[in-house]
Amino acid sequence: MAEEVGVDREIAHKTMVSRNRIRTGAQICGSLAIVAAITVIYTRVVTNVNSTTIALTFLLAILGIATRWGLLEAIVASIGGMLCFNFFFLPPVGTFTIADPQNWVALFAFLVTAVVASQLSTSVRKRALEATRRQQEMERLYELSRGLMLVDKGTPIAGQVSHRTAQVFDLRGVAIFDRRNNFVYRTGVTDDSVSDSRLRDVAIERTTFRDASADVWILPLNLGGEAAGSLAICGSGISETALHAIGNLAAITMLRAHAEEAANRMEAARQNEAMKSMLLDALAHEFKTPLTSIKAAASSILDEAPPAQKELVTVIEEETDRLDSLVTETIRMARIEAGELHLQKGPESVAELIESALEKLRILLEDRDVKIEFSPNLPEVFVDAELAGLALRQLLTNALKYSNPDSPICVRASAEAPFVRISVKDSGPGIPEKERAHIFERYYRVAESADRVPGTGMGLTIAREIVLAHGGDMWVESASGQGAEFFFTLPAVKSNAEGSS
Amino acid sequence: MSAGKILVVDDEPQIRRVMKVILIGEQYEVVEARSGETALVRFREFLPDLVLLDLNMPGLGGLETCREIRETSEVPIIILTVRQEEQRKIELLDAGADDYITKPFSKKELLARIRAAMRRSPLSMTSGPHSFISEDLEIDFNARKIRAGKKTVRLTPKEFDLLRYLVSQAGKPVPHRELLQAVWGPDYGDQTDYLRVFITHLRKKIERNPAKPQYILTEPWVGYRFNPPAK
Repeated sequence: MAEEVGVDREIAHKTMVSRNRIRTGAQICGSLAIVAAITVIYTRVVTNVNSTTIALTFLLAILGIATRWGLLEAIVASIGGMLCFNFFFLPPVGTFTIADPQNWVALFAFLVTAVVASQLSTSVRKRALEATRRQQEMERLYELSRGLMLVDKGTPIAGQVSHRTAQVFDLRGVAIFDRRNNFVYRTGVTDDSVSDSRLRDVAIERTTFRDASADVWILPLNLGGEAAGSLAICGSGISETALHAIGNLAAITMLRAHAEEAANRMEAARQNEAMKSMLLDALAHEFKTPLTSIKAAASSILDEAPPAQKELVTVIEEETDRLDSLVTETIRMARIEAGELHLQKGPESVAELIESALEKLRILLEDRDVKIEFSPNLPEVFVDAELAGLALRQLLTNALKYSNPDSPICVRASAEAPFVRISVKDSGPGIPEKERAHIFERYYRVAESADRVPGTGMGLTIAREIVLAHGGDMWVESASGQGAEFFFTLPAVKSNAEGSS
Repeated sequence: MSAGKILVVDDEPQIRRVMKVILIGEQYEVVEARSGETALVRFREFLPDLVLLDLNMPGLGGLETCREIRETSEVPIIILTVRQEEQRKIELLDAGADDYITKPFSKKELLARIRAAMRRSPLSMTSGPHSFISEDLEIDFNARKIRAGKKTVRLTPKEFDLLRYLVSQAGKPVPHRELLQAVWGPDYGDQTDYLRVFITHLRKKIERNPAKPQYILTEPWVGYRFNPPAK
């Protein structure tokens, strides 16, 4: 559609040029007609007038033509007037001979009057025209600035700025390069010199490009230190001042739109996250409320129940705990997946992490033999203590669940710059090779043990996600029948004494 | 004779039902409220010895209710919450709660927490240090006033007892178990992660940089130690 507008504009331009020519022709004919009319009046109607009066009449007519119509018409009238004056009124009448040098003076006077008068009037007219144009430019700039205040947020801003500028200033073509999305928006017909690469160059180098012959301007659009892109204007006749004003308006509009967009995006992201978080909170609450009543009630009955019932109520209580941990883990997983893993990192001692994890598992551990091996000079790790502890507990729980109660569990920690590597080894049956690739997948359970060992199939997934979020890694090594050893790495705190060990 | 008056605030009728049975069975006098707004009214009429407050309630939530009660009263408040994160628990302590219980909980746990919250530390008032003064920390144990840096700090009774016990053993590492039992009573001793929450909160209140504590130091594998600055 923009192209059609351009074609129309070109046609309009051509018709205007031809209309101008017709008008000039008509005016020349008109000048000649005036000269002819004066001649007729003084030969037929008012005779016996001295030649000075006639010459003055011609002079007045030429003066009028020069001021009203312009130089060309006035010169034509001067020559015509001189010829008529010579032929019809100066002796010898009826011939073109000039007897008296006075006649030369008359001709010279005609021509000088024609030139001077026309030039004076042209410059006055030009100035008036210029003033009107300036006023018009001001009005249009105002219109543009008002229009740009009301840009529509849905469509690309640069495109709208380009369209409005072309419309308001009645331009042949406008192009805007938006530096932010690296896209060129064009309205109407832009010249070949307005190439995408030139627009880009102007935007980057911030120097104005001008092709005066084709009436093409390309301005950089910047505001303060920030570059928004560049603006090309074709066929303007717009003054340079107005051009720069347009450039500033475009730059302000685009930068304002960018800033608003960025603010909106951030707000949307924040709202989305808050929404997810609220939903998960609500979910946790909904599931845990009935579990709370069940557990409180069951644990209360347990005190006074006779032995047979005690066994049954214990089952209720234990299963409540299991449901509870299932809900907790599912929601924790959902939070991690929703990107809601806000790590509160700080320097933590590895010894303390391991100690606190073992402490929390004390009841599960009972009298299990847990060996702890540290390499000397172990640096602190930069982690979220709660989440890193959770990951470690997950591995410890796994080791407990999948190995013989009499077998030892070994926890090792060693420095492997820039990480600390921690491992948990059990002496259980190990993990068959074909299963090893899948154990970190969500809800995946090793087929052999799925029926015997309770679990949700999410523990390892969560543990691994946590470690990955810290920039570390988690993997397993296992020879079937010889236990499994889970490894993970956590970022070490950079110490000044690094390299000394 | 009743063991004490407890105000139970929860919007879930089933939870209120169970708690009422459990608490009355233990000789407590119980009044219920199903919202934070009602709780504030009942609190003024009933003047309970302890408040059990659900965190997640429509209308005036647990945190706001807790703050409102704290405006006028030092009554022990235990918050019931489903959230596991330590950060959330620290927020509860910030609002003035003395303690929290994570849902779901057993009868044993509930009663132990109630006893601990109602029990005043035996060493308060009678024994222990009277004051501690250093460059950026001033504690007046008798007037229960603390100044950290330039601002006055308010501690809950449990935090206060915790700090007092640590200061009374200044320079010596205090084992987790000893600290828990001295402040919370004989039912406690295993909940080191629980202690960790309180220590973190206490550090936030009195340490200049809680991430690099100067006064309350962690003794790995053992417990905590109050470290008076070297003169």
